[in-house]
Amino acid sequence: MKARNLVLLAIAVLMMLVWTFPVLWGLVTSLKTEKDVLAYPPSVIFEPTLRNYADVFRGSQSIVPNLISSVIVSGLTTLLTMILAIPAAYALSRLDLPFRKGAGFYVLATQMLPPVGLVIPYFLILRRIGWTDTYQGLVLVYLTFALPFAIWLLVSYFEEIPREMEEAALLDRAGRWRALWHVILPQAKGGIAVTVIFVFLNSWNEFLFAVVLGGNNVRPVTVAMFNFISLEQTQWARLAAAAMAGMAPVIILGLMAQKHIVKGLTVGAVKGGGRR
Amino acid sequence: MSCAIRGGERRFALALFLPALLLLVITTALPLIYLVWTSFLRIDLSMPWLGGFAGLDNYQKLGNDPRFWNSLGLTLIYTGTTVVLQVVLGLSLALLVMQVKRGQAMLRIAAILPIVLAPVVAGLFWRSLVLAPDFGILDFITRWLGLGSYNWLGEPRLALASVIAIHTWQWTPFAFLVLLASLAALPPDIYEAARLDRANAWQRFWHITLPMLRPAIVIVVILRMVTALSAFAAIFAATGGGPGSATEILNLYAYRLSFTELSVGYGAAVATVLLAVTLAVAFLLFSFRRKK
Amino acid sequence: MTAASVQMSGIVKKHGAVTALAGIDLEVRPGEFFSLLGPSGSGKTTTLRILAGLESVTEGRVLLSGKDVTNAEPGERDVAMVFQSYALYPHMTVSENISFPLRMIHEKKEEIENAVRDAAARVRIGHLLDRKPGQLSGGQQQRVALARAIVRKPALFLLDEPLSNLDAKLRLETRVELKRLQRALNVTAVYVTHDQEEALSLSDRLAVFMDGRIVQVGTPEEVFSKPATVDVAGFLGNPPMNLIPGGTEGFQSLKGPDVILGIRPSAVRIVDEGVHATVTMVEALGEEVYADLMVGELLVRARLREGERPAEKAQVRIHLDPTALHVFDKATGKRL
Ligand SMILES: Nc1ncnc2c1ncn2[C@@H]1O[C@H](COP(=O)(O)OP(=O)(O)OP(=O)(O)O)[C@@H](O)[C@H]1O
Ligand SMILES: [Mg+2]
Repeated sequence: MKARNLVLLAIAVLMMLVWTFPVLWGLVTSLKTEKDVLAYPPSVIFEPTLRNYADVFRGSQSIVPNLISSVIVSGLTTLLTMILAIPAAYALSRLDLPFRKGAGFYVLATQMLPPVGLVIPYFLILRRIGWTDTYQGLVLVYLTFALPFAIWLLVSYFEEIPREMEEAALLDRAGRWRALWHVILPQAKGGIAVTVIFVFLNSWNEFLFAVVLGGNNVRPVTVAMFNFISLEQTQWARLAAAAMAGMAPVIILGLMAQKHIVKGLTVGAVKGGGRR
Repeated sequence: MSCAIRGGERRFALALFLPALLLLVITTALPLIYLVWTSFLRIDLSMPWLGGFAGLDNYQKLGNDPRFWNSLGLTLIYTGTTVVLQVVLGLSLALLVMQVKRGQAMLRIAAILPIVLAPVVAGLFWRSLVLAPDFGILDFITRWLGLGSYNWLGEPRLALASVIAIHTWQWTPFAFLVLLASLAALPPDIYEAARLDRANAWQRFWHITLPMLRPAIVIVVILRMVTALSAFAAIFAATGGGPGSATEILNLYAYRLSFTELSVGYGAAVATVLLAVTLAVAFLLFSFRRKK
Repeated sequence: MTAASVQMSGIVKKHGAVTALAGIDLEVRPGEFFSLLGPSGSGKTTTLRILAGLESVTEGRVLLSGKDVTNAEPGERDVAMVFQSYALYPHMTVSENISFPLRMIHEKKEEIENAVRDAAARVRIGHLLDRKPGQLSGGQQQRVALARAIVRKPALFLLDEPLSNLDAKLRLETRVELKRLQRALNVTAVYVTHDQEEALSLSDRLAVFMDGRIVQVGTPEEVFSKPATVDVAGFLGNPPMNLIPGGTEGFQSLKGPDVILGIRPSAVRIVDEGVHATVTMVEALGEEVYADLMVGELLVRARLREGERPAEKAQVRIHLDPTALHVFDKATGKRL
């Protein structure tokens, strides 16, 4: 019994180490000088410095404009996605929508499309209408993965609300809009919050669309990492600092909303994946 | 049912659904049609004057293109191994952690970290902090164990193993968390009943846990497969598809063709094949799932 | 507010291949307490939901106070409903729940407050107004649902098994109160239940549902004392009526072979002279005793006083009171 517990504990600790190591070590690296980074064996004891952070927040290599780009793109994407996804998910989950099965399947299928298949036509089309390297172009493209995902997540939350809620509201003379607004939405608050978090995370972390369709004006922080890598020399410490700065929002969001994220990942899966 | 109630509800439902649907059609259906159309064109951005209709040329070229066949094979290997690894590891870890009474919360927090990380950052971190020769931690460990030093991302086979490891590292927590939650949701009285029915631990796993987890496992497989088939950023950051074309899965190949070598028409043909593969896999999975 | 009348004619409801209602005609008079009674799956809830406008009809018409509302939205019908699950809005306080139907038609603030206080007082939950539904007991939640329904002074009151989630004692108390409330408000009530005792004690009249049809409508006394079909006879009463095929060994003298005889367990007596029977089981319920008696191959249940209790396995003789016999046609199941 004792031995078994020890083995379990060892495995658990090992798992935590493996999963957290890159981020923790990235944090450590971001506090080293470039010279300390290259030391062999890797040094654990060194004189920490904030130079790298100063460099990535100020001066010629500043990633602040990129952070701003990321905030704008992710924020707008999240806002638009929610405005469109909430009504759509409600219709899909609760109302007598014509061709509901087909519509649901289409939304699901769009979620599976390989982004590389989409980025080529987007590039050609946006270039033609002059929307490459613009916020409207990138946000429009981000909606393609954010919207279907948000709709599906919300559908599973709406399905958890008992149907009698709307029926009672309809009998109480609320009408359909007010039934949705006063009765359903307040009860779906948790699910909506989870969806917002996920959409924001996914938009923030997107890379392929950003690197192909962005440019000097709109250059999200995921792309800006490569500023620190060049053929001649890679600035590992600054890269680590930029990565930590760029990932700080999602890491903090992830840790704060940890419980909800697990729920979001598992909603559907635990219930058998939604019956439709 | 020519009833006003239903009529009103239908109109309301359409009004709510149509904006999202229209946007999705504009941003997915139309571009895909355009993609397929592009695959019949000769578009070379470095030589724009050469453009024109190419018929099936691009597809004929595919057949004789060893780099294409290589990338198709790599896609299958990459998808297959990462999905199997994630599910097997995720399930084993979930079963183990179910036995751990305290500290589950800490493990869950640790598991969140890889998931929320941008894949491109995961690729960069691994490339530098873990796998880089001379200062990566793995190099340090293998040397310390007396196994010697390896160029993890520089040798074709090691590089493939490395990108598979990166993907598995990043997404196994997903399988783990989902399966852990599903395990926790299984009613305990079933296990008690099974115990009374003289099922041993292995039999309980095989006859109760596994069948009851089946829906969750199927969902995990589907979701993980979709992610694996659209993997791009982590490989791009870690190896860029190299060395040579050792880690160049279809996504990378289509990207490099279109945006590095600038032959967009041919790249579109590769992307069309990728689309077909994805849809075929999705179709197979869903018909398998429908069979229950 | 005036109590509404209800007329449903030729109502058919199909869910794809499933026929939930196979042609229903129903009339409820103003101010009446009317129950829909029947076994599970017989179509009671469906009928109620059609009245509420929550479900469309495949065929037929619904009139409320003479007005055709077949296609009217639920909110346009002046109908309130108490759901089996209560359907309280969990994010609103009790008082917000109760006031909701009034707020939806932009009633004046003071009037809403007065109406809420009045409704809450009527069901005695005035002290709970600031709580959320999650902080209430089952019985209290049920009262909130009632208050939400009465606050708007509807013309028609629909209740779908509103007592089924309460414990036995509370169910009895609330039953009485419900009737008192309905009378005080002078409102028409349609009440769905599968509990016959509830239906018999509460209703002015009731309709018995079987397989998507109404098989009998009448006052509780009529339905209980003169069941229209064998099925109704076999459904009502506790325990239900004994059904004896005509010509059965021992009972030939009573009627011919092409009938079915019904006899309530209370009309079965243990006597000195009569048909031979074996006691197979005795179930004691305080003042009364139920006895299972085998007459040849036939099971006859008797409801006896405690003093008459036979021993298990005993051989006894029984007698059926001929004035209490119900006679049904064997082929059609109809009462003769
Ligand atoms: N949405 C539906 N789809 C298919 N069949 C349905 C649907 N709703 C109800 N039915 C069927 O219609 C019939 C009548 O159902 P209803 O709910 O009215 O029964 P009920 O008398 O209220 O039963 P209970 O006492 O169990 O509540 C049942 O056979 C039921 O299976
Ligand atoms: Mg019912």
